[in-house]
Amino acid sequence: MEVEDLGHHISRRFNEDLERVRNSVLSMGGLVEEQLDRAVKALSDGDSQLGLQVAEDDVKVNRMEVSIDEECSRILATRAPTAGDLRLVIAIIKTITDLERIGDEAEKIGVLAARLASVERPSTNYRELRNLARHVKQMVHGALDAFARLDTKGALEVVKADDTVDEEYESIYRQGITFMMEDPRTITRVMDMTWMARALERIGDHAKNVGEYVIFMVHGKDVRHIGIKNIEAEVEQGSRRLESRT
Amino acid sequence: MTLPSRWVSQIAALAGLIVAALFLGWWFGGAGWWLSGAAVLYTAFMLRHVYLLDRVLDGQRRLPLFETRGLWAEIFARVDKLRAKARNRKKKYHRLLREVRESTGALADGGIILNADSEILWFNPAAARLLGLNMATDVGHRLDNLLRHPNFVAYLRAPTGDGIVVASPRRESGWLNVQIIPYGTDQRLAIVRDVTQEKNVERTRRDFVANASHELRSPLTVISGYLDALAEEGDMPASWRAPMTEMQRQAERMTRILRDLIELTRLESAEVNAPHDFIDVCAMLTPIVEEFRARTGGPTVELVLETDAALLGKESELHSIFYNLVNNAVRFTPAGGSVRVVWRTDEAGAVFEVVDTGIGIPEEQIPRVTERFYRVDPGRSRASGGTGLGLAIVKHALQRHEGELTIRSREGEGSTFSCLFPKERVVHRSGAVQAVL
Repeated sequence: MEVEDLGHHISRRFNEDLERVRNSVLSMGGLVEEQLDRAVKALSDGDSQLGLQVAEDDVKVNRMEVSIDEECSRILATRAPTAGDLRLVIAIIKTITDLERIGDEAEKIGVLAARLASVERPSTNYRELRNLARHVKQMVHGALDAFARLDTKGALEVVKADDTVDEEYESIYRQGITFMMEDPRTITRVMDMTWMARALERIGDHAKNVGEYVIFMVHGKDVRHIGIKNIEAEVEQGSRRLESRT
Repeated sequence: MTLPSRWVSQIAALAGLIVAALFLGWWFGGAGWWLSGAAVLYTAFMLRHVYLLDRVLDGQRRLPLFETRGLWAEIFARVDKLRAKARNRKKKYHRLLREVRESTGALADGGIILNADSEILWFNPAAARLLGLNMATDVGHRLDNLLRHPNFVAYLRAPTGDGIVVASPRRESGWLNVQIIPYGTDQRLAIVRDVTQEKNVERTRRDFVANASHELRSPLTVISGYLDALAEEGDMPASWRAPMTEMQRQAERMTRILRDLIELTRLESAEVNAPHDFIDVCAMLTPIVEEFRARTGGPTVELVLETDAALLGKESELHSIFYNLVNNAVRFTPAGGSVRVVWRTDEAGAVFEVVDTGIGIPEEQIPRVTERFYRVDPGRSRASGGTGLGLAIVKHALQRHEGELTIRSREGEGSTFSCLFPKERVVHRSGAVQAVL
């Protein structure tokens, strides 16, 4: 589907350009989701080969970022978009940066998973980490869905979910400290676990950013650093304005 | 062609009107005026009816129509009839549509109709449930924007075979099979099926085979160990010699089967493709061929190296592929026949080919020979010492190298097994060499 009031361009080529670059952002998102999925699977299955493969495949994500970035620059230079189109292009440029970072964190998780695969596993098989990972995966998925549907309500859900993820990270961190104090032999492993939790938490932050860009793209409001209450109000107001216009 | 009576009467009425006007004109004078008057009258009459017809077409039912016979009465009657017919037909289609909608709604499989750009035109409730689509907002969106898994996106661009299995976007550890069927001019139907159950059964089966093979291996090692020790004892009664050898042979066969089973389950459950280690194919093929050539009583084995290209892959798996194919060809080719092992490159990549003049495979069985334990002719192949897993291993190992196995065969004339390795896995070295051993 086309972004609203995007269907009336004199140049059909312009429309197609915007649409194509939007679609490639979503395929990049799909790739990043897969990377994250496989990195987490490498952890839960203790599959070091898979973990290293994830790390190796990060170049694909980077390559996509570069090509989308170039495409955006080309659109800015040759079409000089305004209003909604300009917001779309800006949001895309920002989104791919965050997606690329998510890819980097997934790479980190892959490497850590490969390392953890060779040491003794706790009896819970990293249940807390897998829980955190599930939430983070849902956030990334939700953010990309919101991007595809231009769904600010969905984007708002993602922004809200970040608090839960932060809390979970905090508790894993504290738990890790307890483990290390109880038995110093676990320090290496717990440090790796903490790094992994940290990477997952960062991915949550990047997903939250993507959610915020969606709100910016649709309503034209920058909702960064203004608190969840204000974001809610902006989304509410923006959707009402959109409804009254149609 | 005869004119319908309603038209005859209409034309007669018009003619009557003209004659009356002419007569009155002749009687009273001023025929032109009388004629014009008649024309105006007739036009007014016609206009009124055209106006009424327009109203009828606008959907008005009751009409201030006075006449019950004649042209216009009949025209209106026919319009009514057409309308009633259309109404009935509409009702029928509505009912049909409702039934179709209800039945597709009751289907357990999801159905999505896509246009040429993969935009969603319609989907049923099952598709919404399986994929998490939203009835209210998702029509018009591209499916690959909502289902973004790279493998799925690639499949959507170029659908092949029996569809693709992707992780469910809704359910943790759920699996979906999506199949794209093109129809009409440029529409496509996507069928979505929940295959979680099947995947789990498959996994259970695989785990069982893997565990059973591992568990059987240790007792078997003990048995073969003692058999070997006993066979070496000099003071065995002569009557026990033959049974002893047979036992040793069978124990060895069982070991081979278990080894192949373990190898196969490992290949099947591997998540990632084979690594890209540098493998010198020519150096690998030479000893394999030498080994078979050293056997007596078999066919002649010829090695043709048309290229010195190397492969990027996993050494043990490539060895499995080559060894199993050559082994197969030798086993199914009687003495006096020949086996040609060819390594060459073409524009699509590199090809490893084994051509034999053996017994061949009946055409209808070719698709089945890569199934595990499938035997074309049960008696013969068991006697020839195969495990029944060789080709299954070849197929899976090849898949991990993104390769493709093609089998051509004619019964009684021989078979050709070709493995095509994609360009990305082939390393060309110092130009082509021609070597025939």
